[in-house]
Amino acid sequence: MRLLIIEDEKRLAENIAQALREAGFAVDHAADGITGSHMAVQDIFDAIILDLMLPGKSGKRVLTELRQTKSRTPVLVLTALEGKETIVDLLNSGADDYLAKPFDLGELLARVKALIRRAKGVSSTIIQVADMEIDTVRQTVKRRGQEIDLSPMEYRILQYLSYRPRAIVSKQELLEHLYDFEWEHHSNVIEAHISNLRRKLNLQGTEPLIETLRHRGYRLSEEASS
Amino acid sequence: MNKGSSITRRLITAVLLLEGLAAVLLIVAVIVNEHQDEYSAFDANLRASANAFLGAVQEAEDSSPNIGLDLRRIPRTPHAVYRVTDGEGRILGTQGQVPELDIEPDSFRGVRIAGHSYRFFALDGERVVDPGTPSAVVHQVHILYGQPDGRVWHEIWEATRFFMVATAVLLGVTAVLLVWMIRKLLAPIHVLASEADKVNSVHWSFTAPAVAMHLAELRPLASAMERTVNRLQRSFEQQKRFTRDAAHELKTDLAIVKSSLQLLTMKERSVEEYGKGLGIALEDFTRLEETVQQMLTLARLEQPADAVSPMCALHQVLQDNVTQSASFASLNKVTLAASPVATVFVPVDARDAALLCSNLIVNALQHSPDQGTVEIGLRSDGVTATLTVRDHGEGIAEEDRPHLFEPFYRGDPSRSRKSGGTGLGLSICKAICDRAGGSIEIDNHRAGGAVVTVKLPLWNGQLERGTGPS
Repeated sequence: MRLLIIEDEKRLAENIAQALREAGFAVDHAADGITGSHMAVQDIFDAIILDLMLPGKSGKRVLTELRQTKSRTPVLVLTALEGKETIVDLLNSGADDYLAKPFDLGELLARVKALIRRAKGVSSTIIQVADMEIDTVRQTVKRRGQEIDLSPMEYRILQYLSYRPRAIVSKQELLEHLYDFEWEHHSNVIEAHISNLRRKLNLQGTEPLIETLRHRGYRLSEEASS
Repeated sequence: MNKGSSITRRLITAVLLLEGLAAVLLIVAVIVNEHQDEYSAFDANLRASANAFLGAVQEAEDSSPNIGLDLRRIPRTPHAVYRVTDGEGRILGTQGQVPELDIEPDSFRGVRIAGHSYRFFALDGERVVDPGTPSAVVHQVHILYGQPDGRVWHEIWEATRFFMVATAVLLGVTAVLLVWMIRKLLAPIHVLASEADKVNSVHWSFTAPAVAMHLAELRPLASAMERTVNRLQRSFEQQKRFTRDAAHELKTDLAIVKSSLQLLTMKERSVEEYGKGLGIALEDFTRLEETVQQMLTLARLEQPADAVSPMCALHQVLQDNVTQSASFASLNKVTLAASPVATVFVPVDARDAALLCSNLIVNALQHSPDQGTVEIGLRSDGVTATLTVRDHGEGIAEEDRPHLFEPFYRGDPSRSRKSGGTGLGLSICKAICDRAGGSIEIDNHRAGGAVVTVKLPLWNGQLERGTGPS
């Protein structure tokens, strides 16, 4: 999952970014409203954390303009402003959630995860695909009750695919959503990870879960065990 | 409704009192006039009756040379009191109880007889018996004729009673009209009051009602109220904005400290990571502390000054600050040039003066490009000390100019908090200058860059002696 933080306070953005990266997200940072707005409309982010008081362009305007492009990316607003009107106004402008400063970093993480789940149409923290179970809180994967040890990036790829079962996910999409601009990567990195993932998921007597469709991408099939 | 005095009541009382006084004076005048009319008529009547008695004097029937009174020729007046005497004092005729009166002939006199008021007329006349004959005899006749004048007073009362009643009725009607009219006239005051009553800390808009602005007497009050409310609203808004900005600033700093510490607790880390994290958290905390410190400084400066007037050697403080800032300046590859520096004593606390100098110098250094120069000058014209700090940076934008001294105002938003400083520096400088009765201005230099000009009054001792304390 790739997140965008639009926050002008450098130290705060650094802390949030570090916390999110440690939780397994790819994170990009924009320090002002104009850059933030440009990045947000690219539609490569799974959620956006937006500060209200921004230089260049206010958070409210960034939000309004984002929603005008019909973007459905969930937005969590960080605000230091008091008052019910502000909150009502924000939610009406298209914000999905808000947190008042000073906030709890743990709560921020939980809310961001909840926003992403909701946006992907998943309500539980445990995702069930065929005979595989993904616990998104503990970040563990089980197949037929057997725990499978995955590297962080393998887990992320699997989680991303599991949010879109039966859909074909291109390599480009995976690259966009799992790596931020700071990450050095090569285009064949995804292929290597997928190959490892399939190997680890293939237990004795089970059907392969991940299909490769040439030049199109990857698909997580739900009918694997049938 | 009102326990104190009321303009309505005072006005009504005053007008009614005047009206009443006028009515009383009018009635008195009417009575006096009526009295004169009635009495002249009464007197004419008395005189005519007396003359009739004179006419009724004739030769006595008993062929004596005496004369007698022929009452048949006089109309009967039952209440009349009279006495007719001849020259020898013989009484020719009398009626009623005639008092002894020492009265000039042909004059009137009022007398009380048995509790009744009478008016008498004395008439002296001559009666000639057998005129034209040698035996003609001239008889002196004295007539004293009186009638009760109670009736006259009755007539006067009758004539003026209607007038009095009419006046009283008019007085009553005007009183009612007056109350109504004054209420109506004073209505704009109530409108103004109820409009003013609507003003509160949420609803600040106050426009003087048109009815109040129409009245010459109310217009100054109404416009003064409008101005006062606007002034109050501005300062209230300023306070509110300050509180909001201060809260935002503090919350942001708090959020940083909190997140820095929470980040450390999110998972197990190595000792090095903890050490580094704590160091960063401490730095964040120092920032929060600085913000609080500056807010407190501003709050202190905005309090009324102490009774003890402070004094400091501004040139000394300035030199110290230039020396202290030298390392920061060389770090930014900026040259600090302080000249000329006059010997100047100003009525500013030494700590505040140091704060002023360092804020201005740091500000100029921050806005200086690499290899730039910050020029500092301190002059005195014998009355005012002028401190100028000029940088060669980008100068100030015209739209920022009115807001530069507002707390938390950051001219260039892209600078935001990264460049350090809480946005209170210039507000603190202004507060220091205001407190000392001086001024501070920022302008663009013709050759580029911004110039801060601080004007401070000289310390009294330096003014009197022309020199500073040795």
